[in-house]
Amino acid sequence: MNRKGLISIFRWIGLLFYLLIAVFPLFWIFITSIKPSQEVYTFPIKYFPSKPTLEAYKYLFNFAKFSIYFKNSIIVSLSASSISTIFALLSGYVLAKTNFKGKYFLILFLFFVQMIPAYLLMVPQFSMFSKLGLINRLTGITFVYVGIGVSFSTIMARGFFLRIPTALEEAALIDGCTRLQAIAKIILPLMLPGIAAVFIFSFVNNWNELFTAVLFLNSEEKLTVPVALYSFISKAGIQWNVLAAGIVTALFPTIVAFAFAQKYIVQGLTKGALKE
Amino acid sequence: MKKLSFILSILLIFVVSFLSAEEVTLKMIQVFTSPLRTKIIEEIIEKFEEQNPGVKIELISPPYETAYQKIYLMVSTNQPLDIVEVGDWSLSALASMGKLENLEPYISKSPLKDYFINGIIDAARIYKNTAYLLPNAVYVKTLFYRPDILEKYGIRSVPKTMDELMAFCKYITDPKNNQYGFDFRGKGFPTAFIDLVVTSFFDDIDPNNMYLTKDGKLIFEDPRAKEGLKFYVEFYEKTAPKDSINWGFDEQVNAFVAGITPYLFQDPDTTGLLNELLKNGVYKTAPLPIGRGGKAYPTFGFAGWGITSYSKHKDIAWKFIEFFNSPENNAYWCKMYGALPVDKRVYENDPYFSSEIFKGWAEMFNDPEHYQFTKYPLDNEAWSNWNQFHEETMQKVLLGKMSIDEALKEWAKFWKEAGLVK
Amino acid sequence: MKSKKVLFIFFMLFPTFFIISTLNIYPTIKGIILSFQNFTLFNFNRIKFIGLKNYIDILTDPEFPSILLNTLLWIVCSVIFQFLLGFGLAILMKRPFKGRSIYAGLVFYPWALSGFAIGLLWSWLLNGQFGIINDILLRLGLIDSGINFLSDPKLAMFSVIIVNIWYGIPFFAIMLLAALQSIPDSLYEAAEIDGAGPVKKLIYITIPYIKPTIINTILLRSIWIMNFPDIIYGMTRGGPAGSTNILAVHMINIVYYKNDYSKASTVGVIILTILMIYTIIYLRITESGVVEI
Repeated sequence: MNRKGLISIFRWIGLLFYLLIAVFPLFWIFITSIKPSQEVYTFPIKYFPSKPTLEAYKYLFNFAKFSIYFKNSIIVSLSASSISTIFALLSGYVLAKTNFKGKYFLILFLFFVQMIPAYLLMVPQFSMFSKLGLINRLTGITFVYVGIGVSFSTIMARGFFLRIPTALEEAALIDGCTRLQAIAKIILPLMLPGIAAVFIFSFVNNWNELFTAVLFLNSEEKLTVPVALYSFISKAGIQWNVLAAGIVTALFPTIVAFAFAQKYIVQGLTKGALKE
Repeated sequence: MKKLSFILSILLIFVVSFLSAEEVTLKMIQVFTSPLRTKIIEEIIEKFEEQNPGVKIELISPPYETAYQKIYLMVSTNQPLDIVEVGDWSLSALASMGKLENLEPYISKSPLKDYFINGIIDAARIYKNTAYLLPNAVYVKTLFYRPDILEKYGIRSVPKTMDELMAFCKYITDPKNNQYGFDFRGKGFPTAFIDLVVTSFFDDIDPNNMYLTKDGKLIFEDPRAKEGLKFYVEFYEKTAPKDSINWGFDEQVNAFVAGITPYLFQDPDTTGLLNELLKNGVYKTAPLPIGRGGKAYPTFGFAGWGITSYSKHKDIAWKFIEFFNSPENNAYWCKMYGALPVDKRVYENDPYFSSEIFKGWAEMFNDPEHYQFTKYPLDNEAWSNWNQFHEETMQKVLLGKMSIDEALKEWAKFWKEAGLVK
Repeated sequence: MKSKKVLFIFFMLFPTFFIISTLNIYPTIKGIILSFQNFTLFNFNRIKFIGLKNYIDILTDPEFPSILLNTLLWIVCSVIFQFLLGFGLAILMKRPFKGRSIYAGLVFYPWALSGFAIGLLWSWLLNGQFGIINDILLRLGLIDSGINFLSDPKLAMFSVIIVNIWYGIPFFAIMLLAALQSIPDSLYEAAEIDGAGPVKKLIYITIPYIKPTIINTILLRSIWIMNFPDIIYGMTRGGPAGSTNILAVHMINIVYYKNDYSKASTVGVIILTILMIYTIIYLRITESGVVEI
């Protein structure tokens, strides 16, 4: 066999290896989610349910009001990610394309924010939000998420802007566009993949955020998906089939978003972020 | 003039009817959240709301592990909250924050006060000898076992003593077939499990303090504690899976349900879960085995509802708490959720609480000679530091990284520094 | 003209930096203040400054050196293997093949799971008695009795790191894949003409070209992993006997068991300090300014 063929076999073995490692737990969650509750703990382990059932999913959506949590999660994640992305685009542009005193300090500052442990913020943030009356409000949690995510979004956005040749923008300015027009007409279209990447990163993080949501949201009709999933672990044990069904359901939007955006992300990152 | 007064009276009626139509909404938070529990509480709330038009109760059900943090943060910033679930282990912290209303005046006026089971209100008076909550359920550990598994090994009798339990456990343990005996707990507040075994080697534990003997000495400095702890370690080494050092409640229940470890010490709320996972009659309960001291020392665990000191609707909140504790609701609550009722009448009226499942507890309550109830030093400020310390040092002993003597010395030192010994 | 530019810059930066200052910096300052106080629940009505006592308590805790060592092990092993395996995946995925986007969706999904779900899921998979991984190994006859992945102190750290690696591969793969695809093909073509093999191409073209991406992803990732207690918390809570205890978990445990918010903040400040020192040294060693990202 020639060398090319050997390399390609190795490549396929490698790809298969990664696939197996990644998918195996997902497969097991899925199997568990269609087991009846009596079969979850049986010993020896049952690899396939004797009677596959949607019991757990029904429970999620009928009894546990999962559709409400789902809606809340979508609202919060979408709005927080959108706001973060917009803010990040504004500041990322300036940090990439202009020169001013203190710029490097601000960039270092963004990195510094990455280092703050979430638990250090917990008590002060809570008392601040309770004074502002933002506890148990989706608005409140949205703000928190923007606060958590906007610094990394800005770091990413700045990377994309750096990739766009300044010459393009200058040409537009010479053509008589105002700066904002130049941004809107020339730069933003080029930035689309980058915007998608910034947005998806932010969305995934917001979608999964648990610890702040647990503390800041109270009422049934305000809870998000991760909080609800967490509630299936109780002093009275874990309902594994329901939790598994919840994880599968919760994964759904991120996997879909990801499959769609995958192309853009790779393309977008190619053009910029985290690359000199 | 007539016209004016007419208009005024119309206005008055309007205002009055508006005021009376205004709804009062109480906010209530539970700690031991589970889907099952939430459902039961909501049913009781619904009944209450039917009987009290104009009152709404909104239940907050945070995930169990974070519930206390949430409550502490909420009350510390005076977030709207009227009724708070308080467990025995969190009572002192909450009360010392000054955020719980003294319920003594309410209790002394309540018709319920004549029917509380012995000792329960006393138990609730941990902090400054004042009741800051009204318990609605009692939690006492007992022995759960699986006759179906044990019969396979020809074991038909129930272990009466710790030594018997050890012998049975050793007899059936066969790691090759994934069969073990004792359902060990190594993680997530294992304190009570350790203490049950260790104190059973004593015959003179202070009825008011699990960690003191009747003559006021720390149990950890007593040679019997060493014997007891050695015995406990033997359970782990000889009759439990090595993995159980990492077991919390969930893994304990899994192992019991799977039959891997057919002997389990647990609280009555385990029945709620077991009834769902196991067919009726597959598991049974028996009194805790007594130790070489001829006794066992269970504790009266309890949980109940308290009222925040800053609540604007304390009277309605109390009304609900009273409603929750009425014999009917208390029976329903304890039956569905799996706990021991606090109202004497429930035991008399409801045959369920004298049925087979409750055999373990019933026998313990009726045998004060062998079963002496005691209390944890929950009012000591060091208590909240104790659990993690206890868990970690215990794990070190189990892993052979620390000797039993050293552990006992550390524990004694801990409680001396905490001022437990007068 | 100049003032107009200043105004422009100000308004563009304002939303981001305003929200960061109010939601991150202000609470951080509050948190630092908290670390010098005695805020426990029992002291709720008598909170006062106690100087460096919390720091002394935390730093002189006999467990502290081992926590620090665990933290180091956790970060170094996780980052190195996440990077190597992520890099491997990125190289394998670089050339297009049929179904690549579906493949990407499947192989990248761990990144879309929450740390909490991962911790739970894997502690279940790795359980010594009824974990499926042990069951498979037993059935294949590879082992005689269940491996105690999470309860053997020698294995526990190893297990949680493996899970963290599993979770982190996609991040590196995505970032590095993007970087790889930006390498102009002409570079490789030229190298091939010179007779360079795959290894030489990797060392002389690929790695130098994507070096900035590598440096920056590794920096960010190690910062995040330092502050990522979720997996360990879900799997072992730092046990058995502290063998998987890292600083971030230590902080949660102090809140969870002891309700000592001041001491937890102290650990938080220590984490922050370590990360700042680490970043400065890292940027020195790699001779890159963050500026160049």
